[in-house]
Amino acid sequence: MWLNALNRKLLRETRTLKGQIFTIAVVLASGIVCFIALRGTYASLLASELDYYDRFRFADVFAQAERVPETLARRVEALPGVATVQTRVAKDVTLPIEGLSHPAYGRMLSLPPSGVPTTNAIYLKKGRLPERDDEVVLLEAFAEAYGLEPGHHVPVVVNGKRRSFRIAGIALSPEFVYAIRPGALVDDPKRHTVLWMQRSALATAFQLGGAFDDVSLKLAPGASEKSVREGLDRLLAPFGGNGSIARKDQISNRIVSQELDQLGVLSTMVPAVFVGVTAFLVNLVLGRMIRLQRPEIATLKAIGYSNVEIGRHYLGLVFVVLLPGSVLGLAGGLMLGHFVLALYGTTFRFPNLEFNLTAGLVATAVVVSAVAALAGAWGAVRSAVRLPPAEAMQPPAPARYRRSVVERLGVSALIGTSGMMVLREITRRPFRTLLSSFGIAGAISLLILSHFGLDSLISYFEGTFRREQRQDLAVVFAKPVAPGVVAELARVPGVLTAEGLRAVPVRIRYEHRARDSVMMGLPRPNTLRRLVGHGGPEVAVPADGVVLTQTLGDVLGLRIGDRPEVEVREGDRRTVRPVVVGFVDESVGMSIYAQAGTLAALEGDLGAVSSVLLKVDPLRTAQVDAQLRRSPSIIDVSDARGDMQRMLDMNTSFMNVWTAISIALSAGVVFGVVYNNARIGLAARARDLASLRVLGFTRGEISWILLGNQALEVALAIPVGLWLGRAWARQFMSTVDQETFRWQVAIAPRTYLLSVVVTLFAAAASALWVRRSLDTLDLVAVLKARE
Amino acid sequence: MDLARHDAAAVSAPAVRAAERSAILACVGLRKIYRMGEVDVRALDGVDFELRAGEFLVLLGPSGSGKSTLLNILGGLDVPSEGRVFFGAEELTDAADDQLTAYRRHHVGFVFQFYNLVPSLTARENVALVTDIADDPLDPEEALGLVGLAERLDHFPTQLSGGEQQRVAIARAIAKRPSVLLCDEPTGALDFRTGILVLEVLDRINRELGTATAVITHNAPIAAAADRVVTLGDGRVYGTRTNATRARASDLRW
Ligand SMILES: Nc1ncnc2c1ncn2[C@@H]1O[C@H](COP(=O)(O)OP(=O)(O)O)[C@@H](O)[C@H]1O
Ligand SMILES: [Mg+2]
Repeated sequence: MWLNALNRKLLRETRTLKGQIFTIAVVLASGIVCFIALRGTYASLLASELDYYDRFRFADVFAQAERVPETLARRVEALPGVATVQTRVAKDVTLPIEGLSHPAYGRMLSLPPSGVPTTNAIYLKKGRLPERDDEVVLLEAFAEAYGLEPGHHVPVVVNGKRRSFRIAGIALSPEFVYAIRPGALVDDPKRHTVLWMQRSALATAFQLGGAFDDVSLKLAPGASEKSVREGLDRLLAPFGGNGSIARKDQISNRIVSQELDQLGVLSTMVPAVFVGVTAFLVNLVLGRMIRLQRPEIATLKAIGYSNVEIGRHYLGLVFVVLLPGSVLGLAGGLMLGHFVLALYGTTFRFPNLEFNLTAGLVATAVVVSAVAALAGAWGAVRSAVRLPPAEAMQPPAPARYRRSVVERLGVSALIGTSGMMVLREITRRPFRTLLSSFGIAGAISLLILSHFGLDSLISYFEGTFRREQRQDLAVVFAKPVAPGVVAELARVPGVLTAEGLRAVPVRIRYEHRARDSVMMGLPRPNTLRRLVGHGGPEVAVPADGVVLTQTLGDVLGLRIGDRPEVEVREGDRRTVRPVVVGFVDESVGMSIYAQAGTLAALEGDLGAVSSVLLKVDPLRTAQVDAQLRRSPSIIDVSDARGDMQRMLDMNTSFMNVWTAISIALSAGVVFGVVYNNARIGLAARARDLASLRVLGFTRGEISWILLGNQALEVALAIPVGLWLGRAWARQFMSTVDQETFRWQVAIAPRTYLLSVVVTLFAAAASALWVRRSLDTLDLVAVLKARE
Repeated sequence: MDLARHDAAAVSAPAVRAAERSAILACVGLRKIYRMGEVDVRALDGVDFELRAGEFLVLLGPSGSGKSTLLNILGGLDVPSEGRVFFGAEELTDAADDQLTAYRRHHVGFVFQFYNLVPSLTARENVALVTDIADDPLDPEEALGLVGLAERLDHFPTQLSGGEQQRVAIARAIAKRPSVLLCDEPTGALDFRTGILVLEVLDRINRELGTATAVITHNAPIAAAADRVVTLGDGRVYGTRTNATRARASDLRW
């Protein structure tokens, strides 16, 4: 019979410990919730990605050129290691959407006559493929942003001519899981889209009949990506090819992979906190229970219960925690998982994104939780098992207190007798105090960990706007223009300063290492695009030589005075060996900077600019912006500060939910730790406290004696938690690909404040909860009871 | 020390054989030494002892004379430093932990000075703790009836007086139909009147069920209720006497 006397004992004791068991179950459940939600989202995204890439033949190598005769496709196909090749026409267009002050930026891609490309197939969600010259298929996110449906029309400026296209279908593409405008830092579905149309029509519009400017290919199994890319680059070089891109560097894929990597790390890091705290709390409660029950354990042994039976009995408590904790955790995890995955789904577009709760995931969550709880129980239960039956006939010796070092320093005069009692309790169990503090610190660090990403991003933007990119608007041209344009723009009413920039694709080599990079030509003086060295000093653009971002320098192993080989990947494709004269500290990108003159000499022309930075009268920004956009050669006018603000606005609701969840989870841990400690303190010291009440101490005074401990634990936990959060954020960042981003971890004072306030609130709430029972302390009953 | 043990065994071989025949529980040359830092405490210093089938035995001695130590070893709660222990023909001296557990589980009933009831279980459930794991137990209700507590089955220990708690403890001890009932100061924590009540119960159990019973006490008048009295002092047996007549518990005075 399962409800034998021993199990009844467990059940009854569970009932008296219900508050403690509940709080531990909540902490355990929180760990499972995080694990299921984060890991489940990770696994679901990863599975969707693999399936999507496979079924829609996401290419392995991508390349662009200016105008390549179609006949070259066969030579690309003949390269050893190439499985299939798809050529197309890919052009930038703008979409002057009505009601939008800025035309949206679009990428127009051709579809082969069959409509089914051999690489990068599209997934039609609605409608059909284009059948006429004036039909397009539109990327879903953009269509959703404007409520566009098949049959609607969109205006598109194609090669300078405004046309109206009928939307034939709405689609997704493995190339644009995350659709981001080149040069932008975040996606903006209202201002960026991708369109597909028939190849013949697009080719005609850009005079590319019988030619292509974009090629992608799939590799044969076991082929060397490096040698295929080298072969492809060689073939395309005469036609303006500026270097192929591997799948891992394809922008959408890179961002999705990065996000997945981070999610993968987070999905183990975050649950680890809960798992650790669960183990600690189980140990705390069970250890206390077993110490209290020494005579009962001895009796059970004396009347013939075996060590195994007694061990199992106390481990039963673990299952009382584990069962509701797991059920709660799985249910919560499933809910949160759906929510998180849906959030990802709005940014990362996959054909079918389903939260996949696998048996393996559930088993891992439950087994890891069980192992943690059992590990926490282990030490306590072992002491029960080891208890020699005869020795335990005597009741445990009264707790031994000593005068601590602190006391001997003579602080007793300062903190009084009740302070002394608090201090003695802590010095008597320093390890428990430390572990409790550590658990609370873990909760604090979770809050920081859940916020530092956005903090760092904002800090990066603000720092960049303050130091390096001081323009109000950046004007981007479809192709490089003559430097005279800068002066023209400077004369536009409202423009205060205009400075031209030139970006040239290059490949930089040093020793055996090489990277594709962009060489930026800066004007003199450069007041809007500045270079800033490590620690903040402005670095002057040298008349001779180049300045590199520190990341690029590190990757290539370059030092000041070295002369790397720089190959220009357009025009005459000259190669030079400029001297490295300095490094700048930029978080994003691997750029090379030189004076515009240096770049012009390198290109063998009189100079050109690919974008112009403007300082604008703040009152006339909108006017200037609108006027600039009317020029057909200008493809985009971007306002980085506005972009950042829009990105933040778009993510507010997401961030609010995220904040609420992280607060709830962290507060649960703090509550659990403080509550359990206070309860145990109360159980152990009810007698002392009742005696003090009899002696005339007030409720407030005895509350302080009991809860002073917890107050100190929290006080100790706060600095440790803040530090831990920061250290964790750093550790987390170091797992992120250092080549693409080199974030400085920045934690806003707001985040620190939030963590502290949440902790204090949760601690105060649980302390008050325990204090209620202190207020109703039945003096007579307590003094009469055994303990 | 090994040699000494061999000698002791050789010398007392006839005594061993005698013990095997007549005694249900016996020990020979028992020593128990506690190391307390620098000093050795000789709790038992060469004790020969036997408990015979069906008898009511009182183990008398001042506090600290080694009574509990002896009882713990006889009951399989502890192991001796030296000497041998027998349960019937079975030797317990070097028994492994699980053998001792099985011995306690099936053959020994314990009654402790402080009752040692599980506070979260009712009287019935405290007895069920034993009947759950014993081979051919009494019903908990029957056992509690034997100690006169048939009316208090569902009361928790805190709802019972000390004497009632001790009677529940006795019910728990006898519910497994033990071969031996070992009681360590069962009246030690009780007032005189309640103590008598508890002794009456033990006396009746011994007469009705025939369970060999050893009762520890430092309270000399209780010895009158025994078949045999063994006196301990300083870890040695001072003397053994047999009472011609066994006094009724209710006639005792102290
Ligand atoms: N676990 C122990 N550790 C050390 N000394 C002990 C231990 N148990 C008993 N003793 C000592 O052994 C002696 C006999 O103790 P005990 O058998 O409890 O005596 P009694 O039950 O007759 O009062 C005493 O001196 C006691 O201090
Ligand atoms: Mg004793």
